Amino acid sequence: MQAFYTMLHFLLPGLGVTISVTAIALCMGCCIGALMAVMRVYGGFVAKALAVCYSMVVRAVPVVVIIFILFFVISEFVDLSPFMSGAIALGFASGAYQTEIFRGALLSIPQGQMVAARGIGMSRTKAIRCIILPQAFRVAIPSLINEVSLVLKDSSLVFVIGVPELMRRAQYASASTMEPLLAFGTAACFYILMTLFVSRLLEAVEKRFAISF
Amino acid sequence: MPLPVLRIEKLCKSFDSTAVISDVSFNVIPSEVIVVIGSSGTGKSTMLQCINLLHRPTSGRIFLQEKEITAPGVNQDDVRRQMGMVFQEFNLFNHLTVLGNVTIGMVKVSGIPAKQAKEKAMQELVRVGMAEQCDKYPAQLSGGQKQRVGNARALGMDPKVMLFDEPTSALDPELTGEVLAVMQKLAAEGMTMIIVSHEMGFAREVADRVIFMEDGTIEEQGTPDQIFSTPRSERTRKFLSVIRPGKST
Repeated sequence: MQAFYTMLHFLLPGLGVTISVTAIALCMGCCIGALMAVMRVYGGFVAKALAVCYSMVVRAVPVVVIIFILFFVISEFVDLSPFMSGAIALGFASGAYQTEIFRGALLSIPQGQMVAARGIGMSRTKAIRCIILPQAFRVAIPSLINEVSLVLKDSSLVFVIGVPELMRRAQYASASTMEPLLAFGTAACFYILMTLFVSRLLEAVEKRFAISF
Repeated sequence: MPLPVLRIEKLCKSFDSTAVISDVSFNVIPSEVIVVIGSSGTGKSTMLQCINLLHRPTSGRIFLQEKEITAPGVNQDDVRRQMGMVFQEFNLFNHLTVLGNVTIGMVKVSGIPAKQAKEKAMQELVRVGMAEQCDKYPAQLSGGQKQRVGNARALGMDPKVMLFDEPTSALDPELTGEVLAVMQKLAAEGMTMIIVSHEMGFAREVADRVIFMEDGTIEEQGTPDQIFSTPRSERTRKFLSVIRPGKST
């Protein structure tokens, strides 16, 4: 039991890093995803092509490869910490998946909404911003809850570039205590708790903002 | 003879190579109520959606208060702001309350400050009898209530012409009455209205002119009496004989 508490204590700072990386990645992914989805659904030829390429290519590459590539690309131009580099890479990857989530949400909005918005004199842009997107966000929440869980787990991959998050610290602990089960098992408990907590939170958000058609 | 508020000249619309409406021409004078009748698929809705430029006409010209709105370089959003449209499927904004549905156009399109917009919106809701439900969401309303909010939303933009695309076709017969009552009130207040509808009783009571469309063109037009009692065209007679037996007002 004592060993468990010691392990918990050792892994705790990693929890903070994991949460930060996940939060940054999700926000970045959300912004990119929403933008790309709008470009894909409402954009002209160039915008559509760009969005399709981004989504297809990034989703076809394993996240850990993207992390490595972006880490080495970014370090060529800017001196960023592995933490920021990892968060950005994760955000870039999540953006592609969120593009598909938002695309599905946008397409599920009945056509009549756009027609009615234009009928009262809104431009296409205004209609997208005031009428379509607010509804699309709410429709996307269940899929976004799933994405949060996925990004949380993918955050463990940034250990490969040396970010001292939960997985990295669990590795150290395992190596120094020779107790891999204790180390990784405790880390797993943390992941489970975080996922449960965030899921509950987002489900409450979903209930609050749900709209029916 | 007052200047026409709307002039439609030789309007044609084709989708790909199929001509949906061809050579439609008519004028609308202020406060006139026109009801357009005809079988399904004869282009009535398309014509209406061409008038407010939701569809771009293939050829022909439309003049709103003597200004050509089909000319290149015209701000189409501005044109649509001046024409209110009420839809068969209501198309209320689901994420906004009844009040929000009416105010959003005022605030975002007309630039009216929020407080003023709220007051104005409440006036319109009182006009259509929906003031008490102002905080409800569309999903909580009946069909008739939704359509009345749709009316208020369009009226809130102070349109010069109101276009109704089969406003009661998606409603149960019991709910049709409340919407028709609102439309009758609007007509009595002097609103210029073009209504595509199957409600022959309403057309007889309220319309100043009835236009019968067939195969994308105007087959015949005249006062309700002329069209319903003494139709000149054989096709008009045929349509009326099919529609009228068993059709309750």
